Amino acid sequence: MMSLKGAAESLSEDIDEQWLQAKPMSLWKTTLRRLLRRKTGIVGLILIGFMMVMAIGAPVFAPYDPENVLIGKEKVRKREAPCIHLLGCPSERPQHLMGIDGNFRDQLSRVIYGARVSLSIGFTTVLFAFLGGTILGAIAAYWGGWLDNLIMRIMDVILGFPSLLLAIAIVAVLGPGIRNALFAISIVTLPAYARVMRASVLSIKEMDYVAASQALGASRLRILMSRIVPNALTPIVVLSTLGIASAILDAAGLSFLGLGAQPPTAEWGTMLGAERNQVFSAPHLVFFPGLAIMLTVLGFNLLGDGLRDALDPRLND
Amino acid sequence: MLQYIIRRLLVAIPVLFGILLVTFVLARMIPGDPCKAILGEKATVEVCERFTREHGLDKPIPWQFAVYAKDILRADFGESIRFSRPVSQILVERLPMTIELAMGGLILAILIGVPLGIISAMRHNTGTDVATMIVANIGISMPVFWLGLMLAYLFALVLKGTPFWLPPSGRLSAGLVSIPFYEAWQWQVTAGTTWTKFLEFIANHFVFNALITGNWKILKDALQHLVLPVLALCTIPMAIIARMTRSSLLEVLGRDYIRTARAKGAGERRVLVGHALRNALLPVVTILGLQMGGLLSGAVLTETVFGLAGVGRMLFEAITARDYPIIQAFTVVIAVSYMLINLVVDVSYAFLDPKVRLD
Amino acid sequence: MNTATDAPVLSVTGLKTWFHTRDGIAKSVDGVDLEVQPGKVLGVVGESGCGKSVTALSIMRLIPPPGRIENGQVLFKGEDLLSLSPTEMAKLRGEHISMIFQDPGSSLNPVVTAGNQIAEMYEIHRQTAARANQDKAIEMLEKVGIPDPGQRASAYPHELSGGMAQRVMIAMALACEPQLLIADEPTTALDVTIQSQILELIRELQEQTRTAVILITHDLGVVAQMADRIAVMYAGEVVEESDVTNLFDEPRHPYTRQLLKSIPVLGANQDDLAVIPGRVPSLVDLPGGCRFAARCEARTEVGLAACTESRPPLEAVGTGHKARCWMYLDNPP
Repeated sequence: MMSLKGAAESLSEDIDEQWLQAKPMSLWKTTLRRLLRRKTGIVGLILIGFMMVMAIGAPVFAPYDPENVLIGKEKVRKREAPCIHLLGCPSERPQHLMGIDGNFRDQLSRVIYGARVSLSIGFTTVLFAFLGGTILGAIAAYWGGWLDNLIMRIMDVILGFPSLLLAIAIVAVLGPGIRNALFAISIVTLPAYARVMRASVLSIKEMDYVAASQALGASRLRILMSRIVPNALTPIVVLSTLGIASAILDAAGLSFLGLGAQPPTAEWGTMLGAERNQVFSAPHLVFFPGLAIMLTVLGFNLLGDGLRDALDPRLND
Repeated sequence: MLQYIIRRLLVAIPVLFGILLVTFVLARMIPGDPCKAILGEKATVEVCERFTREHGLDKPIPWQFAVYAKDILRADFGESIRFSRPVSQILVERLPMTIELAMGGLILAILIGVPLGIISAMRHNTGTDVATMIVANIGISMPVFWLGLMLAYLFALVLKGTPFWLPPSGRLSAGLVSIPFYEAWQWQVTAGTTWTKFLEFIANHFVFNALITGNWKILKDALQHLVLPVLALCTIPMAIIARMTRSSLLEVLGRDYIRTARAKGAGERRVLVGHALRNALLPVVTILGLQMGGLLSGAVLTETVFGLAGVGRMLFEAITARDYPIIQAFTVVIAVSYMLINLVVDVSYAFLDPKVRLD
Repeated sequence: MNTATDAPVLSVTGLKTWFHTRDGIAKSVDGVDLEVQPGKVLGVVGESGCGKSVTALSIMRLIPPPGRIENGQVLFKGEDLLSLSPTEMAKLRGEHISMIFQDPGSSLNPVVTAGNQIAEMYEIHRQTAARANQDKAIEMLEKVGIPDPGQRASAYPHELSGGMAQRVMIAMALACEPQLLIADEPTTALDVTIQSQILELIRELQEQTRTAVILITHDLGVVAQMADRIAVMYAGEVVEESDVTNLFDEPRHPYTRQLLKSIPVLGANQDDLAVIPGRVPSLVDLPGGCRFAARCEARTEVGLAACTESRPPLEAVGTGHKARCWMYLDNPP
């Protein structure tokens, strides 16, 4: 009969094996597998992929240059409705799948090029907010005391304003334009990252303290760190993905109001804003850019949801 | 509980100060001369010098901030540079519109979002659930201004002539005027007093005003004008609330005490209402404050699309015109209201959750 | 009407509850027979995963998907519970059959006061006035030994200690004087000192109200103290059933024997603690013959071929004593 001592020994060997073998890389692989198992993640990736292909391959896909004014080159009317040959538009007329905008430009090309602007705004904003936020949060948690208080109060002040209004105010100060809109949105979304990072670092600090006081060997500490840190990153990954979605929406809102991308840049919000008074006579000029915004944002939202479910250790239907 | 409220209030004070400071600094940092922005490029130097002196813009900045802070705290918002009218008057005229919009948005978001979330959770993983979640996901991805414009196109143009037609702009149809309740009830009011301003403020909530005076024509018209903007505005919060309710309810339904409730012989309705919802709706309360922020942000866009004379639109115009008093006052009012709303939400949550209430 | 005292209040035959998971069908309960006499305590023992809790939940028909009661008969006072509609079953729960659970902290609704949770029993089953329900709830709190019941009734679960919370659960369960109480590991989550108090309480109340009890536990000491009869479960089936003295004096099934041997004896000089080698078979992938064969000491001694080939039935091996083992059957195949 086996003794309890022997059983305990073999069991502890088991645990060490598992811990040492599970490298952080495999965490991402399992996440990807779980993400792809559910429809939300897949649809999200497809939408984002589609938009990115459009953005990168814009020169290939767009039939016209987005700033190409067509007066004199083609016989088209201002704000003309879409002409789709497949759906019955006579083939003598030049095909414009999304119609002509208020400056005699092909809207389809502008929508395709718009993907570039929107996606880059989304990624850049989140990058800045992530960098700024995580650094501030980490400093606040590590230093503690008055610095922690100060940084967190500043975050509270930022969060005390409705986000778009603050962004409008910042852009008003800096002047309209994509770069300033980017900056404004980054500032407004910073605090979320700061809070998450601070919470994670605080919990690591506690672990550190506890581990040290329990006199664990140094190698165990390193294992703890390499396991805890990936864990702390998971809420941030989800936050970032969803953050890209809201950044694109906010940027479009700013552009709509005339504070973001300026004409003649083809940005979806700007295009919408320019034509909003003509919605009754030229609805296609409002519909398509807005649809593009919606699909892109939807893609990131679905991906964010899928990631959240995939990264959640509890969820395992 | 009282301790909790006091603690929350104490934390709010430095934040309030921060808000005042940030607002002041931002407003001053807007490039450009208010004189030129308001009186036009052609304004001469003498005119501008007089303008600057009149509005105290030549004093040192810290002095201006001190004056500003003192005035704000006394609720003296000064005069609009652009309109030469007291800012408080402009507030009284415009704030109710935004309030009606935001409140309407919140109420609709809750009234539709919560039941949707509940139904989704109860029919977990069935077609209804999947369909609702798809709709909710689309809902949070739609830009408010796009949705507003599309709705306007649908209801004002496509459905013209049908009973479903809805007006695309304005607060009331042309020619209709809301009669303030104190006039309808023939109260004696002295113009200019704070009390009168307060009454005016209340009366400018057209829906409420029409309701209490029994003016059904105005009520119907005002509501008609509110439908589209509120619908556009409430979509994102509604989708968020639906998703939150669903996930919260799903989590609660897996808990042990639900099993206990069933073991006690409770029927499914009692389990849902008496046990599950009472716990599941608590986290939903916590996000209501946040949603209000989104509603206030969205109000700017909605007011622009639907041509509504609200605070958001005015603030945006004031920024373009460098009208400092309006920028400062409106921003402070919005930020402070937001802060108060969050405080109310936090306290309500503390009251509803016994674990917090009694600590 | 059968007035004989040995008409069992609960009679379970051939109960099968399987969980249809993505990794296969887990046969948590695979042909369980049990009987409980009115006013008596049946102890159900076994290690984690043997199916005792699932059996209890199956009797109450509280099995969540992907679990499903595949087969069997659960006769409660002559009526087959498995044939009832959900509404009819709900009527029985709490009023005729009650259940208490392992972790009282998580099993009580956190936003309802203790008093109201008990009062709810009367709301559901008696439809009496709120005031009367409150008073009866306070009475019940007193009955389960909670000091200052009037005050405690307005306490929330997180303000109660583990022991008190479990008392509240017992009060809820016995509020409507059910004929059968199922207690699923009621003391496992509690401090050792509180454990015996709670068991005492259950014993007292059970004797007072003549409620039959199914006491589920993994602790042999607990059943020795409380039970009149004991059923030992392993891997989804009952492997031995007997009255309590007989089980401890003359255990038949090898599993029971090895379990009893593994209990450390106070004062004895032991170098090693005896352990049953190996692991419980996976419920998704059960062996063909006797499920205990791989870990059975007796098999290595006696060497019966039947053990690994076919599943032994549960048969009588003495008066009121059943065991599921080829060693005791006359004609093992």
